[in-house]
Amino acid sequence: MKKTAVYILLTLCGLVMIYPLLWLVGASFKSNDEIFSTVWFIPKSLDFSVYKRAWQTVTDYTMGHYFFNTFAIIIPKTFFAVISTVLTAYGFARFDFPLKRLFYALFMGTMFMPAIVTIMPMYLMWSRLGVLDTYIPLTIPALFAAEGSFVFMMIQFFKGVPKEFDEAARIDGCNSMQILVHILVPCLRPVIVSVCVFSFLWTMNDFLTPLIMISSVEKYPLSLILRLSADSTGNGYEQCKILAMSVIGLIPSIAVFGLAQKKFLSGITAGGLSG
Amino acid sequence: MKKKYRNPIGVKNYTGLLLIMPFIAGFMLFTAYPFISSFLLGLTDYNGIRTADFIGFDNYRRMFTDSGFLNAAGVTLKYTAILVPLKLIFSLIIALVLNMQIKGMGVYRTVFYIPSILGSNLAVVIMWQFLFTSDGLANQLLDMVGLAPVSWYGDTSAAMGIIILLRLWEFGSTMIIFLNALRDIPREYYEAAKVDGCGKIRGFFAITLPLLKNVIFLNLVLQVIAAMQEFNAPYMITGGGPLKSTYTLGMLIYDEMFSYHDMGYANAVSWVMFVLIALIVGIMTKLTGRGRADL
Amino acid sequence: MKKLILITAALGCLSSLSSCNGRKSQVTAPDGKLDKCTLRFSWWGGDDRHEATLEAIELWNEQHPDITIVPEYGGWDGWTEKVTAQLSGGTEPDIMQINYDWLISFSPDGKGFYDLSQLSDRIDLTQFDNEVLQFGKVDGILNGITVSVSGRGLFYNSDTYKRLGAEYPETWTELTALGEKFSAEGLYPLDLDAQSGGTAWYLALVYVQQQTGRQFITLDGQLGFTEADIKTALDFYKTLEDKQVIRTVDIRTDEDGTAALYQSPEFISGRIGGVLEWGSSVGKYEMSLSEGVLEAGPMLSDENGNNSGWMIKPSLLYTISANTQYPDEAAEFLDFILNDGEAAKVLGTSRGIPASHSAEKSLEENGLLTGLAKENDELLEELDTVTISPYMELAQMKTFYNNAIEQVSFNAVSTEEAAREMYVSINEYLERIKK
Repeated sequence: MKKTAVYILLTLCGLVMIYPLLWLVGASFKSNDEIFSTVWFIPKSLDFSVYKRAWQTVTDYTMGHYFFNTFAIIIPKTFFAVISTVLTAYGFARFDFPLKRLFYALFMGTMFMPAIVTIMPMYLMWSRLGVLDTYIPLTIPALFAAEGSFVFMMIQFFKGVPKEFDEAARIDGCNSMQILVHILVPCLRPVIVSVCVFSFLWTMNDFLTPLIMISSVEKYPLSLILRLSADSTGNGYEQCKILAMSVIGLIPSIAVFGLAQKKFLSGITAGGLSG
Repeated sequence: MKKKYRNPIGVKNYTGLLLIMPFIAGFMLFTAYPFISSFLLGLTDYNGIRTADFIGFDNYRRMFTDSGFLNAAGVTLKYTAILVPLKLIFSLIIALVLNMQIKGMGVYRTVFYIPSILGSNLAVVIMWQFLFTSDGLANQLLDMVGLAPVSWYGDTSAAMGIIILLRLWEFGSTMIIFLNALRDIPREYYEAAKVDGCGKIRGFFAITLPLLKNVIFLNLVLQVIAAMQEFNAPYMITGGGPLKSTYTLGMLIYDEMFSYHDMGYANAVSWVMFVLIALIVGIMTKLTGRGRADL
Repeated sequence: MKKLILITAALGCLSSLSSCNGRKSQVTAPDGKLDKCTLRFSWWGGDDRHEATLEAIELWNEQHPDITIVPEYGGWDGWTEKVTAQLSGGTEPDIMQINYDWLISFSPDGKGFYDLSQLSDRIDLTQFDNEVLQFGKVDGILNGITVSVSGRGLFYNSDTYKRLGAEYPETWTELTALGEKFSAEGLYPLDLDAQSGGTAWYLALVYVQQQTGRQFITLDGQLGFTEADIKTALDFYKTLEDKQVIRTVDIRTDEDGTAALYQSPEFISGRIGGVLEWGSSVGKYEMSLSEGVLEAGPMLSDENGNNSGWMIKPSLLYTISANTQYPDEAAEFLDFILNDGEAAKVLGTSRGIPASHSAEKSLEENGLLTGLAKENDELLEELDTVTISPYMELAQMKTFYNNAIEQVSFNAVSTEEAAREMYVSINEYLERIKK
């Protein structure tokens, strides 16, 4: 009885959450005027050729090629981000060391500056290193704990794991690295999954950095291709094709999230505190 | 004299330093240079093209008389003050519900995260128009319960409201962080409390909240930073209007930098924003008594 | 000691920032021959422009196997940021499509782009009217070549007008009078917006330019209007609102949010009877309505038939990078994409009606010049038009106009106060950027 109520409530809320997506799929079959004149998502007619055209893109390559590009950025970037995030957070959360307060303040400071301010100096720096139009400017910073919010998040979760765990392991003869790998990482697996998911989704949507750093169309990630056809300054465009492209572009994100969400909760359930 | 570091026995004092090497190296390589150059540019009249002239703190002085800046700072603070608490409460409630062990929860978790995946997709912008324009769904609902319609986009406080609503609707990341932490709370705690005659609500305040203090602080800091730097939501939904009532500092910096090519001023404003955020986070850290705990 | 190192490092940063804006590098002089090379060519736009341009590049690459053109293109979103970064890093493409006001933002002294007059034996400049060539000059140096010329014109929903039995207005008075007839039916004869389009101020300033013969912003960046002129313009705008010729900003944002007019249900349904739009981009309005519904109306004049004051500007320009290693080759390509008859056929009107005579002729002969853009072009050609100053197009300037219009519309300030503030801000700003 109570369960039914929960389901009904969840479904209603869920509808509010998902409606724009339904509408987006429906609108990808609509004409320009139909798109803007009705909130109802079911289109007057279904013509799947729009998806074929969307997949072809106006460039020499299909969207498949740009998916590949995007993954060529996301996979190393996410991998780098996880490693550097875990190490840095471990250092801050579990150890005391010279100048710790200073480094911690500097670290927090990196989160306070809007990214838009650093993008021009970064561009000039990468330009002088001669690596513009490669994926280096997009992936290598992740190797250096560039995403402050990930580290900050990880630190808080490290603190949720009791220090007694470490001490017990140390008595058993584990060194600091072994403690991290064998004790802490398993405890924090759900959080690490979250970092991966955030890194994936944010990179998927990131637009300004690749736009500025990448100039060859064949190296564009998907986020640039999705905006390639939208030109508000010109003579208008086929709206449904752009929407169809963005539907295709959303599929990996939703799939990745759907697959990962189980991991937010499962893992070693006991976590820190029951131990 | 050697300083004492609080490390477990047998742990070298530089172990931690080694571990945070990625950050230190990254800071030297990628952060220090942009930060310093940004600060120095803030002391010039650089416009992206001409050689910059050093003008001291003129840009900072200009801010005090620039009604556009003062307004944007006010809008941003107000936005942050309203959005952040609402978002935290909302995400926590949803996380508690989605943490229940019932069948099919995975689908709901995915569905509830979809707004955050959509982000600034065009569909969201158009959807908001269908919801909040004059004959939109919101006003039809108001009409049904006998209330007067609201000019959501045209009224200065309502416009702020629909942006806050957008960001509330995109609560996914905050919720996931709460979910991550909720799973760490063993069910036995609640069972023990139940035996002691402790109700659900009291259980929440007595057990859940105290155990969530780290993540609440975490979400608080992350959301304050995001809200203070807000650019995308007002840019998409209201364009900063009406009458600049949703024109945030983030938008001001963007406009000065890329539309008006006033790099000097844009960088100076960024540093003021930096200091504002640092102050707020600093105060929150002090108030929650975490000054030492975080180190 | 540490402090000293810090200061030295800081100064190093600053000097490197200001020196690496690409302006110090050596400009390569034309060497009179065509070498084997690869050139980058960048533009922004929508699908039609991408497709046409890629096809034209293919045509070129077939004819010139030695000079390969590599396209770099994208949507408009973020394109300014990209170009800003490229120009300050000196890494911009050899050939670029640019906006009119970028000439003064990126090349205030005429040295930000290549001096194209040096390449006149490669680019056939005789295909352009002298007046059109002037558009691309900064400080007397030819920095850009106009791709197409465009001006705003009035376009009406013929269905709506027919239904009400109304005629398209010929004079300002007729326009103002239409409000009564339309508002009785809950309709509007026209709409203007104060957002990025800035059409509200545009119409108001044409009205004053026609009355006074003064140019709002002169080509060299002086404010030509008096404070009283600005007030007249704002008053005129307010009259349009009061007589319900157009929606107030309040009503428009309430009904449409921030949607562009061509995406507004009110326009699509025909409730809004007209728009003020560039001839080169009226296509998106046309597409929102059934075919043939949108029609070009007369350019408004005063009671004595004085129809001056309407404006034109280059809608886009091409330019060559000051850093290019291959000026001859780039110029050869520019000539192809601007003047070549075959290229013109492929490119069509994807960048508006070509300003180049040979390109226009090629389109004419192939029956590719039709539609509202052409009609608008002809209407403007009959008039004594004013050239829009690039300074008028600057983003900061547009913010001044939009703020004034918005504040007047919301009755936040009187037209008198708004005019004074606008007058002072514009003068201050123009002085600051021209220093």
